[in-house]
Amino acid sequence: MDTKILLEEDHMPKSWYNILPDLPTPLDPPLHPATGKPLVPEDLTPIFPMELILQEMSLKRTVDIPEEVQDVLRLWRPSPLYRAYRLERHLKTPAHIYYKYEGVSPPGSHKPNTAVPQAYYNMKAGIERIATETGAGQWGSALAFATQIFGLECTIYMVRSSYAQKPYRKSMMQVWGAECIPSPSTKTKSGSAVLQKDPETTGSLGIAISEAVEDAATHGNTNYALGSVLNHVCLHQTVIGLECREQLASVDAYPDVVIGCVGGGSNFAGISFPFAGEKLKGTHKETDIIAVEPASCPTLTKGLFAYDYGDVAGLTPLLKMFTLGHDFVPPSIHAGGLRYHGDNPTVSRLVHDGVMRAVSYHQSEVFEAAQTFARTEGIIVAPETSHAVRATIDEALKCRKSGEAKTILFNCSGHGNFDMSAYDAYYAHQLVDYEYPEQLIRESLARLPKIPGA
Amino acid sequence: MCTIGFLVNPVAGMGGAVGLKGTDGMVEVARSRGAVPHARERAAETISDIVDLRIHLLTCSGFMGEEVLSGAGISGYEVVYRPAPGQTGAPDTMAACRAFLERGVDLVLFCGGDGTARDVYSVVGDSVPMLGIPAGVKMYSAVFAITPVAAAGILRDGCTPGGRFLIRDAEVVDVDEEAYREGVLKTRLFGVAKSPYRPGLVQGTKQVFENPDEERAKKDIARFIREVMEGTPEVLYILGPGSTTAAIGEELGIQKTLLGFDAVSGGDLVAADLNEQALLGLLHGDSRARLVISIIGAQGSLLGRGTQQVSPAVLRRIGRENIIVVATPHKLAETPLVFVDTGDRELDAGFGDHISVVSGYRVAQRKRIGNRSKFEHMGN
Repeated sequence: MDTKILLEEDHMPKSWYNILPDLPTPLDPPLHPATGKPLVPEDLTPIFPMELILQEMSLKRTVDIPEEVQDVLRLWRPSPLYRAYRLERHLKTPAHIYYKYEGVSPPGSHKPNTAVPQAYYNMKAGIERIATETGAGQWGSALAFATQIFGLECTIYMVRSSYAQKPYRKSMMQVWGAECIPSPSTKTKSGSAVLQKDPETTGSLGIAISEAVEDAATHGNTNYALGSVLNHVCLHQTVIGLECREQLASVDAYPDVVIGCVGGGSNFAGISFPFAGEKLKGTHKETDIIAVEPASCPTLTKGLFAYDYGDVAGLTPLLKMFTLGHDFVPPSIHAGGLRYHGDNPTVSRLVHDGVMRAVSYHQSEVFEAAQTFARTEGIIVAPETSHAVRATIDEALKCRKSGEAKTILFNCSGHGNFDMSAYDAYYAHQLVDYEYPEQLIRESLARLPKIPGA
Repeated sequence: MCTIGFLVNPVAGMGGAVGLKGTDGMVEVARSRGAVPHARERAAETISDIVDLRIHLLTCSGFMGEEVLSGAGISGYEVVYRPAPGQTGAPDTMAACRAFLERGVDLVLFCGGDGTARDVYSVVGDSVPMLGIPAGVKMYSAVFAITPVAAAGILRDGCTPGGRFLIRDAEVVDVDEEAYREGVLKTRLFGVAKSPYRPGLVQGTKQVFENPDEERAKKDIARFIREVMEGTPEVLYILGPGSTTAAIGEELGIQKTLLGFDAVSGGDLVAADLNEQALLGLLHGDSRARLVISIIGAQGSLLGRGTQQVSPAVLRRIGRENIIVVATPHKLAETPLVFVDTGDRELDAGFGDHISVVSGYRVAQRKRIGNRSKFEHMGN
């Protein structure tokens, strides 16, 4: 059987899959940060184009992908699905391991799947510039790539610790014509406030989001774009899972286990929502869907399911999600894209309801798995992706014990070619296994005021 | 065959359990506070592990070595120094070392603390390697094995047929005990000795960090622990020695002793500089207490060095689950393994393989605990 399972270009999905109408109960609505009342579309018009706002709240099961967007996606889509024969042999597992490789996109990750439509809808709405944040630089480089295609300017607030750790991501943004600013910066009020309190801060996604939102809200020609967390982002990423479903069907397979790493939840949603939909509809009830997160930022495994802000400054709507608290600054792990205090509300709900489950790993464990993957399958994965690799290997090893020939699918969300300093740290035994001291944190929060609606 | 000079400073460590932070010149005070010597037991732990080795041992009479050797069933040793009856002291340690040198020993094995290390070094210098069995109040010098059992492992490496000692430079430092009792940590480099080691088994010289990042990290830790304390007002907190826990005191606005154990309740200082008896006195009834303790210097030692006030009895009363370990990322970066050395092996073993160390605001690091029994057989 083939190692690569490829789809013809004309088999690329023509529409995205929206899981919202298939949820057993509707999501709790996002709340306005000032009033605490459910959001209406007009609340979001200062920072998003109407088409994306409608997608965010849409209850249509499918949303058409515009032709112009499909044209750009065809530069790398459909992406290949691999059967990991070499990894299977190395692990001596009866499991069948498949991985969807999103590292073939120009920026090297799944991120342009949503950057391209977001840039397109903003261009159509007459917007001239987009402000955004980026953690590890995957999203920033993807949006730089996408805005340049549609003739928009782009300003990217990059989390300071990543800005220093990953200089080549910054260089990519420059090639694609975007401006990249280390966050927190003095360009915004929220950034200045953080710097004043703590000049040595490593920054965080939550802080960078505050800066980008403020930039967009205070400039008429500028909108904001988010690389994860929101429903419309997850919607755009469902091309991953939809392609997988067709690719697997072409070899008469269907996954028993679906795995993805989770920061804000979009690559995980992308690969898992089409399969979660089947699970909810009852066509494939037994699929085990696993979200993998870092032990240092264990939102789904140790967070609270509650309303919280999406950013540090409290500028975003309140979302009902798993959260570690919007003022939590996760430690500077190398998987910078997973350093986020919250998670997509739909992923949160599905984990809360038991449709999906979550596991967490330490840094050294995931790099060990990434090394195994690189030495068998060849691809050096991004530190974020290495979390999914770890969980996949562990599931495959369970199969070796039980003798079950399960079909395991994971999202190989990006390559790590710009993350080699993280691998260097692994080989120098300098990786720190950060933890989230859950009990102590809960005790420390006992006296804090409650967030409205929590 | 190896020839080893072996001596015990019988009073080493006596000041620790009674809160004296050192025994130099304080033996009678320590005794009057009820301190009992335990250096012999520490030495016996090492010696009992090497009875099968073919070593020619030279020692001192009575408490200074002979009793430990005969107690372990070792014969054929030679007594090369006999102290005068009564209290032994630094002159005896030094005289014994001169006798060892005259007999051309390959190694001086001593049981004591930093004071003893200083006395041994002042005679042998770097002409002969020295190895310490830890038994003192303070062990900031790099000549000490992590535990008595680890010392035995090092001797086994060097004295089995075909084996050899790996030798490295090891700083001998001492702490100004007068200043130490006043709450000021003043270390000074006394000299650089030669010392045998197994990688990972001998403590590196303890360092006191003072760069800005380190201070910032201490403040972050302190702010987090203060919030935890505010969220648990019913808990009695005992803050251990060191500059990280001192930062917690500063954050709380209390006068924390730098080197002692202080008790805090409801944000107020309840008692300062507690010894073992006073700690046990505080830990009565059903009320919950937590111990906040740091890793000492770069050596990765927890609960063993300079913390004898927290005896196994105190720890059992507090409970392992109520121990919060704090350390700055800087310190942790130089501490690949944490060693738990309470003096009670069963209690040590109960800590498991890993320990979570609070290293910043709402952040912890997982550190591996060095396993003594594993090291005995596997090197590192």
